[in-house]
Amino acid sequence: MTTKLLEVKDLQVEFDTYGGIVKAVRGVDFAVQAGKTLAIVGESGCGKSVTVQAMMGLIPMPPGRIMGGSARLRGTDILGRKMIEGREVRGAEIGMIFQDPMSSLNPTMTIGDQIAEPLQVHRGYGQKKAYARAIELLGLVRIPEAARRATQYPFEFSGGMLQRAMIAMAISCNPTILIADEPTTALDVTIQAQILDLLKSLQAETGMAIILITHDLGVVARMADEVAVMYAGKIVEFGTTDDVFYRPSHPYTLGLKQAMPTNHRDAVQKLMPIEGSPPDMFSPPVGCAYAARCPHAMTVCEARQPPAFAVTVQHYSCCWLQHSQVPHKAAGIFYGGGHD
Amino acid sequence: MWQYTLKRLLQGVITVWFIATATFLAMHNVPGDPLSGERAMSASIRANLEARYGLDKSLTQQYFIYIGNFLKGDFGVSFAQENRQVNDIIREHFPVSATLGILAVIFAALGGVLWGALTALYRNRLPDTIIMFLVILGISVPSFVFAALGQLTLVNLNAFFGVSFLPVAGWGTVSHMLLPALVLGMGTMAYLTRLMRSSMLEIIHSDYVRTAKAKGLPPARIFTRHQLRNAILPVITVLGPAIAAITTGGFVVELVFAIPGLGRYFVQAVQQLDYTVIMGTTVFYGAFLVFMVIVVDLLYGWIDPRVRLQ
Repeated sequence: MTTKLLEVKDLQVEFDTYGGIVKAVRGVDFAVQAGKTLAIVGESGCGKSVTVQAMMGLIPMPPGRIMGGSARLRGTDILGRKMIEGREVRGAEIGMIFQDPMSSLNPTMTIGDQIAEPLQVHRGYGQKKAYARAIELLGLVRIPEAARRATQYPFEFSGGMLQRAMIAMAISCNPTILIADEPTTALDVTIQAQILDLLKSLQAETGMAIILITHDLGVVARMADEVAVMYAGKIVEFGTTDDVFYRPSHPYTLGLKQAMPTNHRDAVQKLMPIEGSPPDMFSPPVGCAYAARCPHAMTVCEARQPPAFAVTVQHYSCCWLQHSQVPHKAAGIFYGGGHD
Repeated sequence: MWQYTLKRLLQGVITVWFIATATFLAMHNVPGDPLSGERAMSASIRANLEARYGLDKSLTQQYFIYIGNFLKGDFGVSFAQENRQVNDIIREHFPVSATLGILAVIFAALGGVLWGALTALYRNRLPDTIIMFLVILGISVPSFVFAALGQLTLVNLNAFFGVSFLPVAGWGTVSHMLLPALVLGMGTMAYLTRLMRSSMLEIIHSDYVRTAKAKGLPPARIFTRHQLRNAILPVITVLGPAIAAITTGGFVVELVFAIPGLGRYFVQAVQQLDYTVIMGTTVFYGAFLVFMVIVVDLLYGWIDPRVRLQ
């Protein structure tokens, strides 16, 4: 087994709002291995972005609050900390790119200056040296005429080019982890593929780990080594991409798969939406959060929180169907074509 | 960029010409003329005077003579003050008004940006509440009240400590300028504070400030490089009109503080229907304000690259 670079345990985040306290993240566990890609998937509002923003210290407090848990990078907790082992966490250890590149760059600063900034702050580069490196980085993310482009402002770039510039900025200090928070959601499909390929080849060159947040299972299939499926502030299934795609062990994962269009010519199956809507996060359910929408829910599901059941060594699922007393039923749901 | 500047200057010239024409027409439509003073004069004297000042000519002829003289840079001779060139009046008294106005604008801009940023950073906490209360006072209380209150406070302070910190009125040294400039800039400062606060609040929650945080930049750098410059844009936009408001508002403050500025002559000239002085001061002020607005626009382009190319 490879080493765990980052280990998140029981992370809990809350927000104060006018309506009450929103429990956005309710005990999340996952691990990222060095040089690998972990995808966190889930629908809007399930807490995926909040999870990584909590790690990066990007949650505005107040109204946000980290209620507990840890995120250990090479064994040192980074929650609420700025430095570990003499290195800054943000920007140096962990780089981050965001969903909308159009609004994520400062409109009144040249691209080159913005990329040079982390180098000046974290590496102590002089202005000239940092700027020269910024031009190299722009070349690295395959932006043509990098020297001229570096002098331009964000409004002179297209969306895809801006996301490349964001990537150049995020990897400028050789981070060990790159967090990509829905990096392709705001881009059109042809550009999406280019950005994903770029991330992959940069990962191969630098050996950094990637945490990819997305709601697009197509992106997951293309990029991820491991997948964490998130629902209502919890990870409900975790495993390798193959495990999660071919041997889904949670009804929610199954539902997501059935709601995903395919391009098989002989596909006859209709797209199946997941009925209902996510639970009220002001007062999350006592038992399994998915029980209300789950076609296979049992009495125990609404009463008690399901623990993590190991399906195989690296694959677990938080679902009572995995309990040893309901083996035949589980097998029928999950491996029998995924249909009732 | 040069083309843009040139275009703006040309537009400015047209604006000034428009101001001159409008003032000329308005002025001649007011009942009475510069010669109808308290003393009655005989018809022949009146005719002589009219001939001397060119008032017997038709309105169109007078108009073209005025415009022709303006183009030569000659504003003519005052009707009310004997043998006084309008150019001399402006030359003597405008620098006083301009110094006061510019100082007031600097007070207003620096204060507005500083207080606005501060209130945004301390949103809904005590400094924010206090400053925003003062801002409402600043916007709603007219400048002559501030002027009187300022003088009163100064008199009491000087009397209490037995030392003259600042002169209460008059003109001459920097210490004479401070209080009037502060009073003159007060309303604008309050307005700019409010503007800066809302703009800053918007930017604090913007995506690129989050990016700057994710880059691990220290807060001071985020503030100066990423927040301030972007938040200041709306403030720069209104700076042009603000300069206009301050300079025209200067008349009252000049009067209260006994400052020998152009404002007094302007008001006097209107009362006496001193045609040449009205025209001279109005056109001069108009040109000055148009020029300031152009300068502000160019400044805006320098700060915001998106404006530069258009």
